[in-house]
Order: sequence, then C-alpha cells, then structure tokens
Amino acid sequence: MMDKTIDLDIRRQDTPYSPPYWQAFSIPYREGHNIVSALMAIREQPITRDGHRVDPVAWEFNCMEEVCGACSMIINGHPRQACSTLIDTLEQPIRLEPLSKFPIVRDLMVDRSRIFSDLKKVRAWIEIDGAWDIHEGAPRISPEAWKENYLYSRCMSCGCCMEACPQYGPEKAFIGPDSLAAVRLMNNHPTGSYHKQQRLHAIMADGGISDCGNAQNCVRVCPKEIPLTTAIGELGRQSTLQLLRDLFGKTQ
Amino acid sequence: MQASIHNSHFILRRLHSLFGLLPIGGFLIFHLWENSQSRYGQLHYNEHVVGWLQGLNYLLLMEIFIIALPLLFHAGYGLVIARGSRSNWRLYPWLHNRFYWLQRLSGIAILLFLLFHVGWTRIWGLWEPAIKIDLFSHMQNLLSDPLFFILYLTGLLLSVFHLCNGLWSMAISWGITTSIEAQRYWFYLCTMLAVILCAMGLHGMLGFVQ
Repeated sequence: MMDKTIDLDIRRQDTPYSPPYWQAFSIPYREGHNIVSALMAIREQPITRDGHRVDPVAWEFNCMEEVCGACSMIINGHPRQACSTLIDTLEQPIRLEPLSKFPIVRDLMVDRSRIFSDLKKVRAWIEIDGAWDIHEGAPRISPEAWKENYLYSRCMSCGCCMEACPQYGPEKAFIGPDSLAAVRLMNNHPTGSYHKQQRLHAIMADGGISDCGNAQNCVRVCPKEIPLTTAIGELGRQSTLQLLRDLFGKTQ
Repeated sequence: MQASIHNSHFILRRLHSLFGLLPIGGFLIFHLWENSQSRYGQLHYNEHVVGWLQGLNYLLLMEIFIIALPLLFHAGYGLVIARGSRSNWRLYPWLHNRFYWLQRLSGIAILLFLLFHVGWTRIWGLWEPAIKIDLFSHMQNLLSDPLFFILYLTGLLLSVFHLCNGLWSMAISWGITTSIEAQRYWFYLCTMLAVILCAMGLHGMLGFVQ
C-alpha cells in the first residue's frame, strides 16, 4: 500500500502575460501541514505527480500568523490565507489559485499595489503633526469607541473581501470594502476626524461608497471578521449627512 | 478636492435609489391596492376604481412626472449599474449575494414586462376608447389565458421582490441600518412587506378571472 500523501492542484502562470496552466503535485503526508509549509515541501522537490521536474511554485508569505495578508490565495474556491489554512481541514486534491482580481506576477503571486493606491485615494491615514508643534498630547478615546475601532484596525489589506466582491474588479473603479472600512476607522479617531470631510468627499466620487451593491460577501469572507457591512452602513449615514451639508449648508 | 455635489456620480446613485422607493415603489403599492378591488366586480371596478382615477385633474401630468419619468430614469440608470457588476453567486452562494444578482436580473425582466404591460393597457387605450371604458373585461380577457396569467404573476413577484430587496439594500446605502442586527430585523420587515404585497397583487389578479 502507498504511503499517505497530500495532493495539490496548482494553477500556474510563468509571466504576467503568458497563459495559465494547471500542475498536480503530491507530497508525503505529515501532520500539521498548512498550505505554506506544503508549498515549501514542493519547493524542495519540485516534481509533478507524473514525475517531471519543473520550476518551483512562486508565492508570497511573510508573517505566518495571519496578520500580514501576503499569502492570500484561493484555496478550494475560497479566498483565505495560506499560512492559517491547515491541510487536515481541507478536501483533497487541494486546488490553489491566485487571487483573480489582481494582476498576476507569477504562479500564486499577485500584484496587490492597487489596494495601497486606493487607500491613498481615500486619505486612509491620520495626520498627527502639522507644519508646527501643536503642543497637544494624544486625544483621549473612550473604551467603547476604542473597542469598536479596534475591530477595523485589524485589517491587513489581504484582498479577500475584494476577491469575493461582485462590484470589485480590475476594470472597475470601485475601491472595495477594505478602503471603506479604513475610512470608517480614520473618521472615528479624534485626530483623524479633522479630515473627515475630505475622506467623505473621496468616497462620494466615482468608485466610492455608492458603488457598493450590498451583496455582503465581504463580511463573510473576511479572515479577521471585520464588520465591513456595518462600516458601509455607517459611512452611508455619514455621506448622507455630508450630502445634506454640501447641498443646504452646515448646521452651525 | 472634489466636493460631492460637484461630482454627479454620488447624486445620481442616490437619486436612483430614492426614485425606487418614491415615487415608483409608492406607486407600485398604490397600483396593487387599486387593482385588488377587482374582486368587487366589473361595475364597481370600471366606475369607482378606474373611473375615479380617470376623473382626476392633471392626470396626464401626474402620470408623466410621478410615474413615467422617474421610472425611465430608474430603469436607464439601473441598466448602467447592472452593466458594471458580475455575478459570482455560484462561488459564494449566500442569500444576499443571490439577491444582489436577482435584483439586477429582475430589473431587466421588469423593464421588459412593463413594456408589454403598459403597452397593452395605457398605450393601447390611447386610440382604443373601449379599453378605458371597460378595463375590467380587457384585463379579464388577457388574464384568462394561463400563459398571460403566468406572465403577470412573474411580473408581480419580480416587481415585489425588486422593491422589497431594494428597500433592504437602500437602508444600508442611506445609513439607516448600520448594525448587523438592524440589517437583519429590517430584512424580516421587508420580507413581511413582500408577502403582503404579493398576496394583494395575486388577490387582484384572481379578482379579474373569478
């Protein structure tokens, strides 16, 4: 009888412009393997199931504890992190594909730089310094607000929510649920709220919040369980009020 | 920095959303209530339901500005929105993702249904006075054909779905429901509304063929 193996089908692509193809690999079974360690085992012996020696599979990984987001890929049809996905929980053969909404660099490695440029579009940062020293300490935040903000601060820009979103895609302007959640987080910080209006105007332009179709896949695939649809609802309210201010003037 | 009112994108989307509820959704509810009175018979329906409506002053203006123009905008811009979406409910078969797709499909189907529905009654009635005088018999003739009954039933179910799912989705877009619980309870209320409107519409359809 043959020894127990782990079977993987991997979608490969040699260059950003060459056609994709599938290759099957089998590695000896070992308890506790995750997708990254399985890919490492393949890298040691890059031999396909039918015995051909091939180029090792390219993929990205970094932290190995589901906080950096680098190893996101589609595992058996679902976007998730390779490092925190245990082989023992999966049906075999395991299908590995790169995220489909981002340009492919090679094999399972994609270029997610659009996430960063979209975060820049919505001003997803807090300006703690001005042009001069403002002689003010850090503002206080209530434990309740801090607790809520913390949920959103866990975003690691992994791309899973964008992968599952029917409104997000390379040919579309929509910035995706993660950038909206970042706006929610920054707008609710006492220092960040100084630029609330600029952020709201940014998400009220093309590709902004009104491109959300409320399919709510994002909140279901998010590996960090970030309440993305709540962020979208809260920003819906903030942008409704901003529209009223823009149309009719401020309240004070 | 681009202000929201200097970029038509946001305002157009919100107008599309608003028109779906008012006046179009409001009209759909009125329309289903109005026609549910078919059960009181040909005489009552022709005189007190259709006759009362046709006796309204400024009826044509109301039809154009409250029904036709908002509907054309909602349908036209809806097609633009639907074009920018791709279905993935096979990969992610969750309820709201299916409804996301059905919302777009039903929008297109309702548009086709309305072309027939409005053409058969209001437009044809422009040069055929018998239709206006005895709308009850006109509808009775049409709905007695099981094929057209099923067509109307489909049109009814899809329209009610489109309104109620739109109402659920709209509450998030406008920021009325933000928490997951609020969104869930609002979904239950919208489902209840859908059941009531379907019952009302079906009741009206059956009233013509009783």
